Amino acid sequence: MKTTTSGTSWFGGLKAFFFAEQSPYGLALVRMFLTSVALVPMIRRFPRVRELFSSDGAPQQLAELFGQGRPLPELPPAFAAALYGVMIFAMICGVFGFRTRMAFLIGTPLYLYFNLLDAVSTMTKYSVMASHMFLMLTLSNCGSVWSIDAILRRWKEGPAATAIPPRFPVWPARLIQILFCFVYFGAAITKIQTQAFFSGEQMRYWMLSNWNYSNPFGEVLAMWRPVLLTCGYITVVWEITFPFLAWRPAGRYFALGVGILFHIMTWITLGLYIFPLICISGYLSFLMEDDIVAIRRFVHRLRIPTSMLGFPRFAIARMIEMRPQSVPSSILWIGLAVLVAVASAEADYRIDVYGIRSNNGPLALRKIDSREALAMINNPKPLREKDKFFSFDIGNMMVGGQLGNRRNTFEFGDTIIAHCNINPPHEDMWVDCAVEDSDGRIVDSSGQYVTREQLFANFNYDAGNKLVPGEYWMVLKSSGQEVARRPFQLTGDPGSLPEMGELMTN
Amino acid sequence: MQIRRMASGLFILAYLMCLAWGVGAHTLKVGLAGNTTSYFCVWDMFCGWQAYDNRTRIIGEDSSGNYYAVEEPWGAFTPFGNVARVHYDVSNNLIYRHIKNVLDHSQHAGIDRVYVVQEIWPKQFNVPDRLWSHYFHEPKDKTSYYNLRAICDASGMPVESYPDWFNAQTLSGIADNPRLQRAAERATPYYNTFFNPSELKAQRSTFRSSANGLNTN
Repeated sequence: MKTTTSGTSWFGGLKAFFFAEQSPYGLALVRMFLTSVALVPMIRRFPRVRELFSSDGAPQQLAELFGQGRPLPELPPAFAAALYGVMIFAMICGVFGFRTRMAFLIGTPLYLYFNLLDAVSTMTKYSVMASHMFLMLTLSNCGSVWSIDAILRRWKEGPAATAIPPRFPVWPARLIQILFCFVYFGAAITKIQTQAFFSGEQMRYWMLSNWNYSNPFGEVLAMWRPVLLTCGYITVVWEITFPFLAWRPAGRYFALGVGILFHIMTWITLGLYIFPLICISGYLSFLMEDDIVAIRRFVHRLRIPTSMLGFPRFAIARMIEMRPQSVPSSILWIGLAVLVAVASAEADYRIDVYGIRSNNGPLALRKIDSREALAMINNPKPLREKDKFFSFDIGNMMVGGQLGNRRNTFEFGDTIIAHCNINPPHEDMWVDCAVEDSDGRIVDSSGQYVTREQLFANFNYDAGNKLVPGEYWMVLKSSGQEVARRPFQLTGDPGSLPEMGELMTN
Repeated sequence: MQIRRMASGLFILAYLMCLAWGVGAHTLKVGLAGNTTSYFCVWDMFCGWQAYDNRTRIIGEDSSGNYYAVEEPWGAFTPFGNVARVHYDVSNNLIYRHIKNVLDHSQHAGIDRVYVVQEIWPKQFNVPDRLWSHYFHEPKDKTSYYNLRAICDASGMPVESYPDWFNAQTLSGIADNPRLQRAAERATPYYNTFFNPSELKAQRSTFRSSANGLNTN
């Protein structure tokens, strides 16, 4: 990334960093991609405006979670639906760049308002990041290129007047870039402060949570703690170094490349869809004039037809130009917004989310069997011993204090490691691990305290010359009850080992 | 032009200070409690985790002893997958409005009481069957634990509330210790309402009274 420096002083460098003038192609891409992505969850919620965002439903304001009451007005459903429709219209105008500034001036506060109204299922950290970026887009000139506004201007002023793309200070793009530095740095601090992040437990339990979209690969990965542990360290190192690499000529390829990979992995392993797309859209702010020129050359060399990309913008611009010339485009924008508002209120009425009109009255609550109900209401049963344990495995390699492999065949001289993971919260426990032969006779047994803060425990067993080759079981017991057992086979020749002392047992 | 640049400079400075405040306050854990704006500057994604999965079951009881599932008969909204919205309300702030909304917009006999129950199960049972058979050797006999969180009236107003299952588990684990129990029994809470040092000092500096620092408030 090249920055024109106007002076050698520190202040001069800072001034050039924020106020160098460039064509806002990167921000135009953010405008198109970010807004499109942010629209997806908002459009999904349109049929539920009455339920989630109006006084006729059950909104949950963010301020309530912080004990600050309900500072925002909760509007009657028709008004809420109308405003919601205007928000979607404004965001769509933002994507295509029709009266871009006005679109973001109206769309951004409405986006924020509706997110703040539903802290449970709409407001998330990705909507916060999107809000930050919408603010920057509002203050920027992102609509001056690759937009309907630019096309209309070109038609009005002639191609000669608009041959050179307009240039503006780059600070809105810089602030989006800096936002990512803070986000990643803060996320690294969070991980450092989070118990069990560096042992892989946190990631494993998240991957098995089912709170997000489907993540079949994450469920498989959750079974491989060494991988989670390694990924955890890589993530934190990348997050901390991101601010130091993001503006370096070569470093930024690493920082942004790993970033894209990281966000794709959150999609695959955690089932996050919108979050990675919001972040990757924000990365487009790192594209400066030189990058766009290079990309254009590359695309041209590959002979990829790109002229069709501008077709929707030109088509809409032509339709806009069909208005009477006495009507300014801003009035047209407002007129369309009013139309959308009325249509949205009508749509809310017709959608009839509670099904009251379509069923000639409210729908009936589902009756449940009294035994089923009482089993839930009056059933404080204690935890089963086996539910206190997540897993029990045996192997012979440790990674980061946890079992690094799973094996069921060992040779004389191997150290067999029995490893159990315990689900917190749990009390202080006494956990036994016994070796049984194929006839169920206990050959050896040892135990240890597992205190309440421990998330796993290891039992090391030296397969010395006490055993004979054959089939065995490693049995895990808690409070005297068997929790799990794993079979293993001991092979080889016990005579190949040096003799152990008489008193020495495993 | 100059004014515009200065305004931009001030905005940049203010914005960077906000971001720095968020990260600094989050790192040092200071000045964030009860502050809605902190949500916009603190980047604590995935800070918490639990080993048990958790759902909220809401059961209404009418005067005849019939029970109803207090869930949206028009279909629950699932914001991020296939889990209904009410289950994302981990702090139980929404639950009371949710109850009112469902009861207001559904047909049912007069509801006397509404029970809010937490359903809990260990997360290993979320592992798909094909993975379970590969990594776990025991039969997959999932059992759910139920914990009564609150009893509400038909308007959603809580009448009784009980501890969260996770807190209850933690506390019972700590309390299950005879030494601690004996120490807790011995340590009777004591708050002196008769002797007030600051009042005594004030009285000595202005005038003397016969109370000598003792009062009965």
